[in-house]
Amino acid sequence: MRFQRVTQGVSLALFVGLLALAAYPYPDGIAADFFLRLDPLIATGTMLATGAFLVALLPGLLVVASVLIFGRAFCGHVCPMGTTLDILQTPLNPGRKPTAENSAFEATSRYRRYKYLFLAVILASAVGGVSLVYLGSPLSLVTRLYALVLYPILVLLGELGLRVGSGPLMQMGLDSLAYLQIPQKVFVTNVFVASLFAVIVGLAWAQPRFWCRNLCPAGALMGLFSRKPLIRRRVDESCTECGSCIRRCPMGAISEEPSRTAHSECVVCLRCAEVCPVSAISFSRGQSAEAGPVQVPDLTRRGVVLALGTGLLTAGLFRTSMGQPRPLTGEKPPVDAYLIRPPGAVPEPEFLAQCVRCGECMKACPTNTLQPTWLQGGWEGLFTPVLTPRVGACALNCNVCGKVCPTSAIRDLSVIEKQHAKTGTANIIRSTCLVWEYDRKCLVCDEVCLYDAVSFQAVPDRRNAVPFVVENRCTGCGWCETKCPVQGSSAIRVTLHGEVRLATGSYQEKAREYGLVFKARQTPYHQIAPETFDIPGAAPAPRPSAEPAAPSGTDLPEGFIRE
Amino acid sequence: MKNGHSRREFLKTGLATTAAMLTGSGTGIVGMSQAYANQFPDLVVVHGRRPAENARAAVEALGGMGRFVKPGNKVVIKPNMSFARTPEQGSNTNPDVVAEVARLCADAGASRISVLDNVLQSPQDCLKLSKIPAGCQLVPRTTVQNIQARRLFRETTVPKGVEVKKMEVIAEVLDADVLIAVPVGKSHSSAAVSLSMKGMMGLIYDRVSFHSRYNLHQAIVDMVTVLKPHLVVMDATKILSDGGPGGPGKVIPMDLVIASTDMVAADAQMVALGEWYGKKFKPDQVRHIRLAAEQGLGRIDLERLNVKSINI
Repeated sequence: MRFQRVTQGVSLALFVGLLALAAYPYPDGIAADFFLRLDPLIATGTMLATGAFLVALLPGLLVVASVLIFGRAFCGHVCPMGTTLDILQTPLNPGRKPTAENSAFEATSRYRRYKYLFLAVILASAVGGVSLVYLGSPLSLVTRLYALVLYPILVLLGELGLRVGSGPLMQMGLDSLAYLQIPQKVFVTNVFVASLFAVIVGLAWAQPRFWCRNLCPAGALMGLFSRKPLIRRRVDESCTECGSCIRRCPMGAISEEPSRTAHSECVVCLRCAEVCPVSAISFSRGQSAEAGPVQVPDLTRRGVVLALGTGLLTAGLFRTSMGQPRPLTGEKPPVDAYLIRPPGAVPEPEFLAQCVRCGECMKACPTNTLQPTWLQGGWEGLFTPVLTPRVGACALNCNVCGKVCPTSAIRDLSVIEKQHAKTGTANIIRSTCLVWEYDRKCLVCDEVCLYDAVSFQAVPDRRNAVPFVVENRCTGCGWCETKCPVQGSSAIRVTLHGEVRLATGSYQEKAREYGLVFKARQTPYHQIAPETFDIPGAAPAPRPSAEPAAPSGTDLPEGFIRE
Repeated sequence: MKNGHSRREFLKTGLATTAAMLTGSGTGIVGMSQAYANQFPDLVVVHGRRPAENARAAVEALGGMGRFVKPGNKVVIKPNMSFARTPEQGSNTNPDVVAEVARLCADAGASRISVLDNVLQSPQDCLKLSKIPAGCQLVPRTTVQNIQARRLFRETTVPKGVEVKKMEVIAEVLDADVLIAVPVGKSHSSAAVSLSMKGMMGLIYDRVSFHSRYNLHQAIVDMVTVLKPHLVVMDATKILSDGGPGGPGKVIPMDLVIASTDMVAADAQMVALGEWYGKKFKPDQVRHIRLAAEQGLGRIDLERLNVKSINI
């Protein structure tokens, strides 16, 4: 087997394996976000946007440094995006036979400059404080694909498979497999993510690895530093100029004159060396005497200036757009009331600068409450994670979103700290509440509240006690909103009112300072949702057939009747 | 040991086969219980220190497991194991009782014994803390499972249902030959008590609508017109007197096992023997037990039943 296939296979397996482990409960001592932290664009873009050096993203800078020695070997061997595109390449190979003329660097370089321009846009906007890293980061894109598109389909297939296979499995004595409950996931934007990826894959019909050659800004960044890597492609005099290598180079990095290489385009896949009939090609320390490498064409100053300007302008536009989170006048910015960020999310401006929208947190979230959002967080907030409590709420003992976040946009908090990171406050919509509006008996929000933040009180004009939220006990976890039996929109909804966002420091201390009293009910560690076993009501108004209601003032426990 | 088992198995098998032949009953259970009607007590209450022994004695007094389980039968046992609580906390059935009932089924020649519940808290914790899987580990042909995936349920009609006309039930239960309820005696914050009848809600998919759409007590009775256990072995080693169904609550040690072929009678007896929320209640003070008796699903008139008490 080819060396590259081995390295790519191992790397992709690691990537997928780590993504699979990004789940609750989270195994200690692993870094599920490792691959994302290798991405040079995530490292540089995020550091520029935040204006801070982030140690967690150091691996991305090391990858950039590595190109000085190994060239873009990362692209050819490690990057799961490149590997995924390679896997999908075979059915897309163009019908026409590649010739040395139409495959050479010179003939295939029409679009190569765009990746540099794309990089310029992203870095310039980052300098302007706005992160567009997610638009171009290969690791962010590919993680989003695997996490938000492929993973839900995989678990759906598993469920459908078991629907057919449960019977036979039981007969085979594989009971645990037959009875397996596979939690299903749904995601906002998944169709869009899939479509975008389909376009990226589809472009490979025009050129193999079209994305890597022409669009990938991380590749561009590495290309800038790999014009003359220490270890690079070398062709000795035995070359017969047969053109085999040119035809087979997936990056079109070899010149019409096959001894010359665009090293900034070469991903060190070693295919040229393998296909050379006379073994004239080796990858070794470059010699100064060799023919000069081909340069990147057409990267005009005008183009670069235009790209930098576009990036800065985009940053300016986003920062002056309604809903942008930086208070310019000292007052609170007009942010969507239901923009509930994950617990431990750093303050919104920093959060937007740090979040690379990779989808790790959403993949890892056991309740599926973390969803990518469209424009709820403004233009700048595209695809960022929000809590959607109607789908599920924040699990009491889970702190995995912070553990898997590659950029610490969500802080890695201990469970007790996370339980004190107030995400918002529940708010009762009296006009739809069964008790307030219809005077029915229902206690669900109180039953499921793990923090005892719902209090039922008698009020005039209502037969049944009605719910009130105790503001300083509510963490905004959202179980009340999830479990509220009202159909459609919940009659109790978490708004971001009262949310606490800290870039550093202890949430427990801050809670004390604010007079917040978060005392969580003990639940089993693996428990995700509070049980709703004793919903004593949500019962419809008494029907004629039902027995008469117990007389008021009865001291009998629920369910018993008088003698 | 092995010999003993197989001898007993042989005897039971023979007894059951003979019984089946004598009664000429193709479907077994119904015909058999009629044939035995006068031979065995309506209710058995066993008092003793060892839960497993109590369970065994109770089943023996009712004619032995061979009366209910024939060789090759598929058996479903419904315990309470819905909460991440230890046996001492009273929310789940004592694991020794469950394991003993399963063992009796295995000895009677059951081909498959499935201990099933649709748990309410995290399955991992429920199964581990309840100790029921651990207890049943050595019982042959026995599996303990939490059932939550919808594909494992099947809709069935409730012909005699007053409110509930259709419900989704664990398919394996509908396909089983024998259904045995092995509940623990416990209080319940909305059903008053959760015993053999209320416990059957662990075998259906949509419990929430029982609480929210229907009258809970009528819904329980409707449900047990279909999910009527052939045998109830009620664990009252400890009862959860209040704070049920999940607890924590007051746990009262009683060292009892109650068994009957009549779910209503078993539940009625448990209510009468236990103390609930610091008080004593009569069986007909629990709505669903009274409703079930009124609908002819079993007997609530304990004073007129043939009750056998055993002290070990």
